[in-house]
Amino acid sequence: MSHDDHDSHHVNYLAVFVALCGFTALSVVFDVMSFESHAVTVVLVMAVAVAKALCVMMFFMHLKFEGNWKFILLAPTTILAIGLPLALMPDVGVAYYIPTAPQQGEWGEQMKEYRATHSGGHGHIEDAADDEPANQTAHETEHSESAEAHNSSD
Amino acid sequence: MKMGIPIPNPKLGMWLFLGTEIMFFTAFIGTYIVVRLGAGEKWPQPHDTHINIMAGATNTFVLIVSSFSVVMAHAAMGKKQFESARTWLWVTMALAIVFLGIKAYEYYGKFNYDILPGRIAETPSQAISKVDRELETVVRGRLSVYTDETVISNTRPDDLATVVPQLQTFQQGGEPAEEMDTETAAEHRRQAAIDIELFQKWKTLHEHVVANVSLVALKSAEISSYRAARNELNEGDRLPELSFNEVDDYLKDMKANESYGTSVRAGVFDPQPVLYGNLFASCYFLMTGFHAIHVLVGMILFGLALYQGSRLNEKWVDWVENSGLYWHFVDLVWIFLFPLLYIAS
Repeated sequence: MSHDDHDSHHVNYLAVFVALCGFTALSVVFDVMSFESHAVTVVLVMAVAVAKALCVMMFFMHLKFEGNWKFILLAPTTILAIGLPLALMPDVGVAYYIPTAPQQGEWGEQMKEYRATHSGGHGHIEDAADDEPANQTAHETEHSESAEAHNSSD
Repeated sequence: MKMGIPIPNPKLGMWLFLGTEIMFFTAFIGTYIVVRLGAGEKWPQPHDTHINIMAGATNTFVLIVSSFSVVMAHAAMGKKQFESARTWLWVTMALAIVFLGIKAYEYYGKFNYDILPGRIAETPSQAISKVDRELETVVRGRLSVYTDETVISNTRPDDLATVVPQLQTFQQGGEPAEEMDTETAAEHRRQAAIDIELFQKWKTLHEHVVANVSLVALKSAEISSYRAARNELNEGDRLPELSFNEVDDYLKDMKANESYGTSVRAGVFDPQPVLYGNLFASCYFLMTGFHAIHVLVGMILFGLALYQGSRLNEKWVDWVENSGLYWHFVDLVWIFLFPLLYIAS
């Protein structure tokens, strides 16, 4: 059964367009509203993105009106696409070990000083090459990953 | 009788291609999500990486309008209203140019603040050595007018010091380099005095960086005065170490200087350690860069249809439909990139 005849279904493209604009405005509004947790903002904004993506795919890309071939074509790629981040997650995203990215150890203590004041003063600076002193970095390394270790810009 | 999937071959080809494109972008987006989750609270704030949310939101809007215009072009093609289709395609083309223009403006902002992969200082000490190195480049540039290439391009900073005694002799009125009138010579001497001062400022900073000793506590960190200061210490004491704040203030003074401030401002970025900044910049440029390339390809597809001019006819219906599918996909990618890069930071 062929579905090339695009006059057979009438989509009000303007309405879809207006909905998409509304969603975009909504995501900016969510960003401006400061929720207690930033995670709430992210979840809301990503939900809006999914809604927008569905609008574009269903109406602009006509997937709503296509035959079942769309599942044959898109299911494998979607499964693989979702699988990739999930496969990476245990290694990088949610490490069980305490990460030791060298730039982290140095950061916390000194930048507290930098942000606190711009007046001179001699704060204690840890050399990046030194081992991280436990008392300074314990609270800086609660959860993070080790993958950035290679990312030190020097 | 037609076997297989009941759609025209070009459309099947485009959808298969889009299937591979989904995985292509998911590799980047998925990696970004995982890395972002791993960094947690320490991921750079939009302010630190000079991310402009309004520019991103505007671009989202621009792409949505262009998606609408391309779908209208396709609808017009279906109704054989080719003039109208061309108008919509031109609108799409113009919006693609606007998108890339805003993107270029954003990229310019990144370059302006050196928010580039591998160039961002992530820690205070990296920020200090970045200032040191950039200042050295400025000094080398200023001194290059007095000496030959081999001295200036030598990577050992000590060798620059050999230029300075020559400059001093010159400044005190001896050894004019070549025949020149007195006015020019006087101007050159004034310039030489400024360059000597700049060199001394950098040398002081560099020695403090190498010795890792406070600029405020110790006026000179030259090896002799450094040793003298160390000898005065009680056993177990240490000289105060160089701090980021001091270097920041030292650089601010230099940038405010009347005679060499302009060169310093042009050559040395304001130091700002951004933890995970390089990782962010890599992700940002990888994703937005590949997306921008896709926009360019879309422009070529529309351009080929528009190149037909009034010859655009029903033979191009498939072309416009498939370019449209591709364009919607480009829009889809941006729909996810915008919240991920601009808001989830």
